[in-house]
Amino acid sequence: MKVVNLLAAVDAEKCRGCKTCEKVCPVLAIKVENHKAVVDTERCRGCAACEQRCPDYAITMVKREQPVVVKVDVSAVDYARVEEICRRARLNPEQIICYCTATRAEEVAAAILQGARSPEEVSFLTGARTGCKVECIQPILRLLEAAGIKPEPPKDGWQWYGRTVTVWEIPDEVKHKYATRGFYFDEDIKLLDRVVAAPLQGRRES
Amino acid sequence: MRPPITPIPPRKSQYGIDPALVKTRVSELPGMTSVLLKELFPDLPEVIYPGAGGVSAVRKATEEALKNIDMSRIKPEHSVNILASHHGFTLLGGEPYAEMLKTLKDVIEARTGCNNIRLRAGVGLRFRETEEYIKRYGLDKHFEGKAIGVAPIDQGIPIETEIGTLYGIRKIYDADWIVHAHNSDVREVHFHRQVDRAVKPFGMSYARIETRSTYHQNLGPRAANFTARAIFDSPFVQGKFAFASFLTVAPNGIIGVDADSDLYALNDRVTQIGCRYYGKMMTLFGEIDECIAALDFPCPVVYVFSAGVIYANFAGANTDLYDLDLPLPAYTWYTEAFYGKAGRPLLKDIPPLNPAIKMCVHNYAWTGYPSAFFSEHIPTVVVGQEQADLFNRDPQNLTYLKHAVVAETTEAAMEFAYKTTGTRKVLIFDGAMGGINVSEPLAELLLKKAPAVSERVENELLPKWLRQRGIDMSVLGKAAS
Repeated sequence: MKVVNLLAAVDAEKCRGCKTCEKVCPVLAIKVENHKAVVDTERCRGCAACEQRCPDYAITMVKREQPVVVKVDVSAVDYARVEEICRRARLNPEQIICYCTATRAEEVAAAILQGARSPEEVSFLTGARTGCKVECIQPILRLLEAAGIKPEPPKDGWQWYGRTVTVWEIPDEVKHKYATRGFYFDEDIKLLDRVVAAPLQGRRES
Repeated sequence: MRPPITPIPPRKSQYGIDPALVKTRVSELPGMTSVLLKELFPDLPEVIYPGAGGVSAVRKATEEALKNIDMSRIKPEHSVNILASHHGFTLLGGEPYAEMLKTLKDVIEARTGCNNIRLRAGVGLRFRETEEYIKRYGLDKHFEGKAIGVAPIDQGIPIETEIGTLYGIRKIYDADWIVHAHNSDVREVHFHRQVDRAVKPFGMSYARIETRSTYHQNLGPRAANFTARAIFDSPFVQGKFAFASFLTVAPNGIIGVDADSDLYALNDRVTQIGCRYYGKMMTLFGEIDECIAALDFPCPVVYVFSAGVIYANFAGANTDLYDLDLPLPAYTWYTEAFYGKAGRPLLKDIPPLNPAIKMCVHNYAWTGYPSAFFSEHIPTVVVGQEQADLFNRDPQNLTYLKHAVVAETTEAAMEFAYKTTGTRKVLIFDGAMGGINVSEPLAELLLKKAPAVSERVENELLPKWLRQRGIDMSVLGKAAS
């Protein structure tokens, strides 16, 4: 869940149409048209990625008159399926996967069950990945994969490139090679397996 | 009791309030004093900064350290990227790190004849932070316009590693050679656990979001830093790596500059510094029975400094952050992730945030790092509506003020803290150099506890910590210059 209280605003005089904003927007809410950036105000999630990377300082974040609450209602989907997707992705359904918005794995799974087919759609629906923009791409990709979806990164974009390794996939020879250097692979697998299997705390509202 | 040490001044930044709005520093209030770190731990190394020589001592140490580095592979027609990270600029005012970067450029140019030397400065979650430092320290001029900040959402480049494809930032690697310019300050020991500290920026400051997310979400709290080693060890990075130059730092200041073409040899040396000296400070802070934590430093909530220890690590000082047998400290993102919907940890053995912190007075700290976990679990008073408003605009902190209250002045916030907690012990995270600003009762406690802590770290904890990391203590004679 995220309260979206900001909106990107473009200074057309400063904008040179370089498309950096288009390439970094996690929800594809800004596009360059006729050499100027244009914001889809309904779609913008106020993350400031465009404002923070515009090389011409042509974008500012302005306060929305009416903040928008973005969330997916987990109770509207079959929770058994939510659990199935989360556990297959090796995440506890109640595990937080986005630290800025406190979005839990179950909300992302519910978004997927309601039709999200890409990280961009997950972010648009839940607000995840619109805080720091950095840390939650992998669990989102893992959840999509667990639901049988293989999204393609936006063409020419820098939004994301691909899913990477998890600790369960580290080759044995790598574990063995670095066993004495402080990397506790197998011990962390045991810990994370316990988290995945941990009982839910009983409150199922999103 | 000594008078307080002048703290690091507020800094103009888009991530903090106008410095003019910081009317009072906590160290200026009645009852505050300071303790020199050498009083606590007399075996702390001698420092070159702060010192009479100013930053010129850093230049001299860098030049000295680079004398042993073979730069013959760098040809005049080549390009070199000096890779920097934002944290170095918050150490002791930032000038020492900036001076090392400038010296690196000058020495490489003089020794190799190469004049296409660029600065690529990576960030954390504040994407324009190093742009601010580049201007502030004149690095744009020194690098003749070839100094830029890079962010983890910038264009990426796939890097093939022994654990599969990971992703770096393209502009980090767009030169013939890279020079890894960093520091040994332990900072986020809750994340890296002092495992491969010297290698970490390859999985963070120089990496794309996919890689950073791997570190913080995919590998577990103790295996996480392997992402950095995997990238550094890749043929792609090894083919460009020239050498590393580190500002070596102890809690009391800059102790030298260490350069090496063998990053793992350098890593073993900084591990020893990190475990021995910072380990003592963290263990001592773990002895504090009750206190008010005062944040008063120009960087995000978790990173505010006291004696080289960041607030995030004090929030986990009820656990031994260096002990790898302990799966989860009280605070990492893994720990934060594992709190269920009822607000309790999903596993019973997840430790609570340091119960000694009775209240946090947020006198001055920046946005740009998800910090609501702290205000949710530690009673927090934010000084000034301007800071509250700033946090309410930060996409990373939209619920920070949901759990905190706002006081009009520093004095009012501290009075509130004294009355409601019943303690007069105050630990100030204000980056004081060479010492630590505290209240008198806390100074007394720390001075009393320090000798036993020192002995325990030397005889019991340090050997264990180094053994867990595969560091042979007998080869540590080669001290940093």
